[in-house]
Amino acid sequence: MAEASENLQKTLVVRKPCYGLPTGCPQCLSAYIYLKFARVPFSLDFQLNYPDSDTIPYFEAGDYVSYNNEKDGIIGSLKKEVVDIDTGVFSTDWIPIKVMLTTWVADALAYELWVGGDSSSVYNIYYSGLPWPIGRVLFLKQAQLLKLKHGITNDNVALKEEEIYSRAKSAFDALSTLLGEQNYLFENRPSSLDAIFLAHSLVILEALPETSELRIKLLEHDNLVRYAQRYKTELIEADTFPSSVPPFHADASSSAPRGFSNWSKILSGSW
Amino acid sequence: MENSEEEIQVPFPPNPNNGQETEESSNGSDEEDDYDDVEDDEDDGDELEELPARVHDVVIKGNTITKDWVIEGEVEGLRNASTMRELIEAAKIANANLHDLQIFDSVNISLEPGPPELVGTANVIIEVSEAESKLSGELGAYTKPSVNSWTLEGALKLKNLFGYGDLWDCSLAFGVNQTSDVSVGVFVPRLKGLLNPVVARVFLHSQDWHEYSSYKERLSGISLGLFSTKHHDLAYNLGWRIMTDSSQMSSKSIRRQLGHSLLSSLKYTFKIDQRNSPTRPTKGYAFLSTTQLGGLAPDHRSLRFLRQEFDVRYAVPFGFYNAALNLGISAGVIFPWGHGFLNKPSPLPERFFLGGDLSPVCTLGGPSTLWGFRTRTLGPTEPRRQIRGGTDNDNADSSGRDFIGGDLAVSALADLSFDLPISWLREHGIHGHIFAGVGNIAKLTENEFRHFSPKNFMESFRTSVGCGIVIPTKVFRLEANYYYILRQHEHDRGKTGFRFSFSAPS
Repeated sequence: MAEASENLQKTLVVRKPCYGLPTGCPQCLSAYIYLKFARVPFSLDFQLNYPDSDTIPYFEAGDYVSYNNEKDGIIGSLKKEVVDIDTGVFSTDWIPIKVMLTTWVADALAYELWVGGDSSSVYNIYYSGLPWPIGRVLFLKQAQLLKLKHGITNDNVALKEEEIYSRAKSAFDALSTLLGEQNYLFENRPSSLDAIFLAHSLVILEALPETSELRIKLLEHDNLVRYAQRYKTELIEADTFPSSVPPFHADASSSAPRGFSNWSKILSGSW
Repeated sequence: MENSEEEIQVPFPPNPNNGQETEESSNGSDEEDDYDDVEDDEDDGDELEELPARVHDVVIKGNTITKDWVIEGEVEGLRNASTMRELIEAAKIANANLHDLQIFDSVNISLEPGPPELVGTANVIIEVSEAESKLSGELGAYTKPSVNSWTLEGALKLKNLFGYGDLWDCSLAFGVNQTSDVSVGVFVPRLKGLLNPVVARVFLHSQDWHEYSSYKERLSGISLGLFSTKHHDLAYNLGWRIMTDSSQMSSKSIRRQLGHSLLSSLKYTFKIDQRNSPTRPTKGYAFLSTTQLGGLAPDHRSLRFLRQEFDVRYAVPFGFYNAALNLGISAGVIFPWGHGFLNKPSPLPERFFLGGDLSPVCTLGGPSTLWGFRTRTLGPTEPRRQIRGGTDNDNADSSGRDFIGGDLAVSALADLSFDLPISWLREHGIHGHIFAGVGNIAKLTENEFRHFSPKNFMESFRTSVGCGIVIPTKVFRLEANYYYILRQHEHDRGKTGFRFSFSAPS
């Protein structure tokens, strides 16, 4: 972020905290973990009454705002306007892994939340801030949109489901191989893809029921689960930076983490 | 209904003065006036009028669709009459009531002697002619303080579709600033077991406030009229509101309120209007109180707020040049309720906004207008979103600020109207006026009330004065005014200059 913005109040606006996570929404959690990796001091705020908006999460720095639905998404905006933690990461696996995370894993999680599993998880994450009839209508609308996106009909639902889970399994296999016994996916340093993976895997592990097909497939990879649990403890529960995270930015590194505000401090939009 | 016939025939023996009463007719829209006319005519027919008479039977003819009990419900007063005079008066009121149903082309009520063995009784014969065409249409244009531009409205009406005197209407309204309204409503004058008319309306209202506040509002739902008399009105609203910002330029507090909400509210209005004219009042007073309680739903996530408005008007006649001084003061306050209400903001669309050149003289409905200021353009503001490298959004307003309304609003007016010294103008009701208005808005919610200072509030009133010519018509009031802004704040958009305004009485 420009130098003039350094002293601006920074706020990440996300969906509801739940399941022991600062936010239950994978996109929001990705942005949260990215900022933690970037060691940027920020506070959290919540917008509970707009589950069908693609603008959330958004990042405010004073009057400047970066919305999730703008070019490159929220992570792209944070890289461009806050700090780019991916600078210097060179790997031929970068693009394939990114595609797998943002399509196969993300699609499988969305399918599990809205279509494949029971609706309690998605309701808690997205719709619990709204009166029941409105939340119910928006849930059904989003479920229908997802079915249309994947071309799911009553006749082919089993086939499509198998296809979605199969892709997710392939992605987990690839990620597990890539991670091995390292601390991070690339060059033993955190990147935006680590943030995206951790966000999705934590939602899968914490929010989905034990019978979830997607959760079972992720649990097959011990190193991925350990990776997620370790950073949940360090990043979220301890509410601090992991000791292994190196500084990324001259300015950012000079500003020590100034006690992030409690992420449950403000509940907005629920009057 | 212009060609409708309304008659009350009283071929009742034995008084020759009957003739005078026989041809009395009533107009459904002037029930009280007709009643007064009867009072004025007391000098004739006193002897006949005091004859004892009571209704033996009511015979209804001519209704093919309309249920008998619908008509009987409107003429119930006839059965309470004990003298000829009361019977004639009740017949007039019954005639007016039936006319008001708007479902008959003509109504004819005649009184005939009852059975010979029952002396002093009468049979009431009601002959109605149901409207041949059930369908009618209306087209009009209007403007009101809460909307910042002209709106074109068209309506289709269906009468007496099911024979309950039911009036259905489907209306469409479009404003030049992308305001739109679609609604379907039904009015049933009475249902068995219910004393009050049933009024229900399903609506979809859309209003674009991007120019001033960077959001668009869409509200769909249903409203039910629960109780309505001359002075009291109680209505329930249930709606799903969606606030969006397609420009993605909104300020922080508006950004936080974007999304979905459930409105479940009860609104009670008490109104007294004793002014002699809605468009040019020269004597009398008016009082309006509106109380709205939002959050009447078992779900605590619905919009919870309490909104109260007051409006008082007083017209003082001076006795020369038809001059009169209209004084008025309006105030309103809104506050959320429920757990943690002190920290919560009030719902943005329910807040108070001031501004607009519409005449506050003839609009009675709480603080909303202030001479010389554009609609919703004074009071608390917030900077809109900033974009690095400058704005690249066409929707971004040059002022770069959103008007976010307030939780407390107060406005006051003084308007001196007088006849102009040209007889042609006087004959047509065209008159001059000079006026002054003040108003202010403040935020109280989210603990701001702790910092509220009445002294500062009073000292920061916006003030405007002006003069102009008023052309009152039956349906609206046209003003050509010169406004002069005496005091405004940095971000307010008051403008000194000459402008026209149209105002519809409310």
